[in-house]
Formats: sequence, structure tokens, C-alpha cells
Amino acid sequence: MSARDAIFAAIGADAHPAATAAALLARVPGLRPDRVGNDAVESFLARLTGPSVAATAARVASLAEVPAAVRDYLRVRGLGPRIALQPAAALRALDWAGLETHGGIAVDEAASVCLAAYAVAETGSLVFRSGADMPVLFAFLPMHHIVVVEAAGVVAWLEDCAAREAGRPAPRNLILVTGPSGTTDIEGVLVRGAHGPGHLHVILAGAGAGVAESS
Amino acid sequence: MTAAFTARTEQAIGDRTLKLAIDRTTGTARAKRAAAVADWPGFEQARELGRDIKDHVIAHLGHYLAEFERNAIASGAKVHWARTAEEACDITIRLCRSAGARSVTRAKSMLGEEIGLPHALAAAGIERVETDLAEHVVQLAGDRPSHIVWPALHKTREQVREMFAREHADPGPLDSVEAMVGSARRQLRMKFMAADVGISGANFLVADSGAVCTVTNEGNAELTTTPPRVHIVTAGIEKLVPSMAHATVLLRLLVRSATGAELTQYTTFHCGPKRPGDADGPDEFHIVLVDNGRTRMLREGLAEMLRCLRCGACLNHCVVYRQIGGHAYGGTYPGPMGAVLTPLLDGLPATQDLPRACTLNGQCAEVCPVKIPLPKLLRGWRDRSWREGLPPRTEVFGIGVWRFVAARPALYRLATRLALRSMRLFARGGWIRSMPFARGWTAHRDFPGPARRSFMEQIRGRGR
Ligand code: SF4
Repeated sequence: MSARDAIFAAIGADAHPAATAAALLARVPGLRPDRVGNDAVESFLARLTGPSVAATAARVASLAEVPAAVRDYLRVRGLGPRIALQPAAALRALDWAGLETHGGIAVDEAASVCLAAYAVAETGSLVFRSGADMPVLFAFLPMHHIVVVEAAGVVAWLEDCAAREAGRPAPRNLILVTGPSGTTDIEGVLVRGAHGPGHLHVILAGAGAGVAESS
Repeated sequence: MTAAFTARTEQAIGDRTLKLAIDRTTGTARAKRAAAVADWPGFEQARELGRDIKDHVIAHLGHYLAEFERNAIASGAKVHWARTAEEACDITIRLCRSAGARSVTRAKSMLGEEIGLPHALAAAGIERVETDLAEHVVQLAGDRPSHIVWPALHKTREQVREMFAREHADPGPLDSVEAMVGSARRQLRMKFMAADVGISGANFLVADSGAVCTVTNEGNAELTTTPPRVHIVTAGIEKLVPSMAHATVLLRLLVRSATGAELTQYTTFHCGPKRPGDADGPDEFHIVLVDNGRTRMLREGLAEMLRCLRCGACLNHCVVYRQIGGHAYGGTYPGPMGAVLTPLLDGLPATQDLPRACTLNGQCAEVCPVKIPLPKLLRGWRDRSWREGLPPRTEVFGIGVWRFVAARPALYRLATRLALRSMRLFARGGWIRSMPFARGWTAHRDFPGPARRSFMEQIRGRGR
């Protein structure tokens, strides 16, 4: 008997459980932690920049203002003008005058600029879908990870990620980034920049759906 | 074995450095978990849902395994099945060999430890690079992990500094924990890029997509699984969840219980190999699904243990673990969850001391995010030791535990206070008719219900 057959034989056959699986999820909305107020964008920013996630953030009116915000960040941090620019069409289309952009990612890259597919208010997470225009290493090799996300793309809950992904072809990697990398492996002391980025900076572009509705 | 266990325990209790190291990390973990739980009014209901999701999957394991396999294959993954640890290692080594691997990076996985993958790689002459910082420390020390979330918790910063100064190519001054982390970052960076194969574990296997979810705070999992040509996942068959939405329920519970954070820094769903046109990623993606005793747990009354998320909370809250540390348990998994799993994995005759290494306080079950009744399962092993006629030599260890706890007044007070609290659960009308771990007594007579406060507490109360 193959290992596969032996394992299935040991478990036994069972009925299809789809209805029960769905019923379990129906219990979720009532028991989530109270993390998302009326305004998903404000909740997102609050969690993102809170002590636990510990990212920094800036807001701009539109994508066109992103390069200036990147220049500001690099200047304040005393970093050079060289950035690894994720090969996403929406980023490539911007005017990067005054910065040296390149399309690769070095092992010791100082800073990369990426575009998140969307973001999650509940946890302050940024979501990346790997692909031709999103190399995974852009989010892991640089010391400074600068992430652009559109306010209209902020969803409320982690379950909303699952809803957004349902029915789409899965990317190789779907990555939720929640803060700069860190470790507490030596005596429980928190240190940032363990293997991934030591700094996470978010540039939020435009007005969120929540803001538009309430104004 | 009893002699060996007693020796390990006594050595651990005598080790002040170890005690200091354990206190530093578990103390922070307990405080942060408590704050996260206090900040979540629905936590108790969420635990019940977490339990029900895992129980649902365990009750329909065949269905979900078949669904996962189908979807993983459709995503381009190759799925392999292993009944035992040996089969799992053989498959993994064969995959490494056929990839021509000289160097393999590994992202921490308890399943990998359980099946003995580090030894198998060494025996095959393949360089193994542990990339999780704590596993890196453990590897340099030629040591074993002593905690399932913080494997190097038994090492102090002074010990880490000494090792990094000796072993790293460019250690720098190493005058702070920050500097030590920086040195490890430099040391491991080129190893990530040069590896031929990356091996990870899985926190969840998502049935409806065939994706494998990993969670890390360091970002080492993605650096392990992206640059090499081959990514191999080794995972226990109990890691299944029906969908990503079910995984999110468990993620909330897992991360808060482990570190007190709301989500790990990097939560990634890996689905198949590099797609046509993808900028990076492995050409081959293999998933090795491992039984190694799990189907036996279903049959032998340990199905509830298959819920375990490996969060480590029961270790951090266990008075025994905090006294003796992880190595004294002698198995892959320490603490209360280890005392349940190790007799299954390593055989009861050699490990019957472990279910005895328990003070009855019930803290582990109280903090477990999926409500595993750990004391009940430990009692099951004790009953079985009796039934199988194993010599009751373990009593010696029980007394040993009592002795070291009693010799430490603060701990003794804590343990009795907690024990009283849990004993009260079994008292009806002031008398205990049945209580776990005390069958020998309550089978023939009732045991007086515990006082509201312990003797020591009452004395102190009167003195004031
Ligand atoms: S038994 Fe419960 S508390 Fe212990 S590691 Fe498993 S899930 Fe966590």
C-alpha cells in the first residue's frame, strides 16, 4: 500500500462538509476584536503607526505626489537618491525626477519603493500579490521598504482579503506585511531589521471610500 | 529513563543562568499575551470558534486532505506523502539530491525538528543553513531548540555574543542585542541567495486553494523560499483549514497567544512554483505531507491534540517548564503540549515521566487558544501507564517536582493557589467526589473541598 493510501485508509471516508464549514464562518463578525471604526482608512493609519506595528506614514492627495513624498523620506533619513522601483506600471508612469530609480534589487539595497495591491485596517497590513510586476524580494531585501497604497484600496477586516482573493487566480505568494521585520529571539528583546526591512514607510494616496462617504 | 530525566531536571534546576534566560523571555510573552487578550472582548468566543474549526477539519480530514492535494497539484505543486519521520526525511533528501543541492536554507519548522530533518541533511552531506535567528543560534551552539516559538530562549545575550564573535565573518563590536542581530543579518544574507533548495514548514494548509501559509516576524521564510530553484514544504496533515477565511480566525488566536501581537510581520500564502512571467520564485514547489503518529492520535483518544497551533502559550504559563526549561523534557516538544505529544512520538515506556511532570494547576488549558484539555490528555497517559503495567517509578519524579517547587516558597505559594482554584472546579457541596490526577484517592473516599484560601494565605491574612 502506498503511503498516501495508508494515510487515507487510517482516516476513513467522510461526507462532504461544505455547509458546516460555511456555518462556522457565519460566527466570525460577532467576535472580532474591535479594530475598525466607521472610517477604515483612519483605522488603518492608526494601527499602522501604533506601537505594535511601528511603521511610519505620510498622506498625499494622489499618486502624482508620491515621488515628492519619497524624496522627503529619503532626505529626512539621510539616505541617497538611489531607489529600487518595483516594476509596476502605475509606479513607472510617475515622474521620478531627482531620484535614481532602477528596476533590479540588490542584496544590500538601501531602499525600495513598492505598490501594495490593497491594505487591511484591522491589523494595519499591506497586501502584495507576487507576479511579473511584483518581485517578492523587493519587499524583503532592502533596509527601507517604502510602500505606496491607494486609500480606496483599504479593506476593513482580514476576512475581506479572503473575499477579494476568492475567484481570482492565486499568485505564487500572497503576502501580508505588518510592520518592519523584527525579532525577539535574544532574551525577548525586540530588534527591528532582523532579515527583512528595518523600516517600513507607507505613503497613502488619495481619499478612501470611507472618507468620501462620510463627507 | 527516570534516572536520565531526574538528572536532566536537577541539572536544569541548578542552572541559574538558564532560569534567568527563561524568566526574561516567558515573562515578556505572558505580559504581552495578557494585554492582547484583555483588549479583545470576543476572545473567549473566538477560542470556541477556533476549537470548532479545528475539530471540524479533524472530523473531515480525508475530505480536506483530498481537496488540498487536488488544488495544490492544480497550482503546479508536487505532493508527497509520508507515513513516518523516516519516510518524510527520505523524500526530502531525495528531492534535495535530485536538485543537485549542496546548500539548503531552512525556515524554522517544528515538524522539521520532529522528523529529524537536521540530522538527515547532515547525514546526506548537505550544508544546512538555519535562517530563523534563534535556530541560527541553536545551530552554532550544536544545541537543540528549547521552546517552540523561541528555540534559543535558554541562551543569554552573553552566550550569544561569545558565539557570534567566534563564528561570524564580520561580527563588529557586538555590544548590544541590536549589534548581534545585525551581525547575523550580514552573515546569513549571502547564504539566502546562494542556496539551492529552501525548506519551510507550514502554519496552515489551505484546502480550497492548495496554498501553504507561513508566519514569521523576521522575513526569513520568504528569503528562504524565493531565491532557490526548489522550495520544499514539510507539513503535518493536521495543519489543514477549509479556506483562507478560516485561517484568519486561527491567525488572530495564534499570534496573540504566541507573542501578543495582532498579526506576525510576514504572513504569506505560498501557492505553487514560479508562474510564467513571474519576476522571482522557485521552479519547483514540493509539499511533503507527514502523518508520523497523527492518524494514531485520532484512534487513540488524542484527537483534541491535533488542534494544536504550536503557539507556545502553554509553555510560557507552565510552572514546571519555567523551572526546568525545554531540554529537560528530552523530546522535540517541551512543556504541557510536549508532555502529551512525546509519549506518542517516542513511546510511553521511555517517556512516562512527562505526563507526571505537572502540578495540576490547569493554567495550560486556560490559556490554550483552541481549548485543548491538556490536563485531561495528560491524565489519559497516566491511566495508560497503569493499565499497561509500566512500573510506577514515575512517582519518584512527581515527588521530585514537588520537592523543587516546595523548596521555592514563592513558587510553592503560586502553585498551591492555582491548584486550589482548579480543585474548586471539581468540588460540589464542599466535597470532591472525583478529580483528575487523584483517582487513587477519590475512587474510594471523598476528598475535602479546598478552602477558599490556602493555609499560607490564611496565616498571612491573620497576621495583618
Ligand atoms: S497546546 Fe494550545 S497553548 Fe499549547 S502550543 Fe498548542 S495551541 Fe498553544
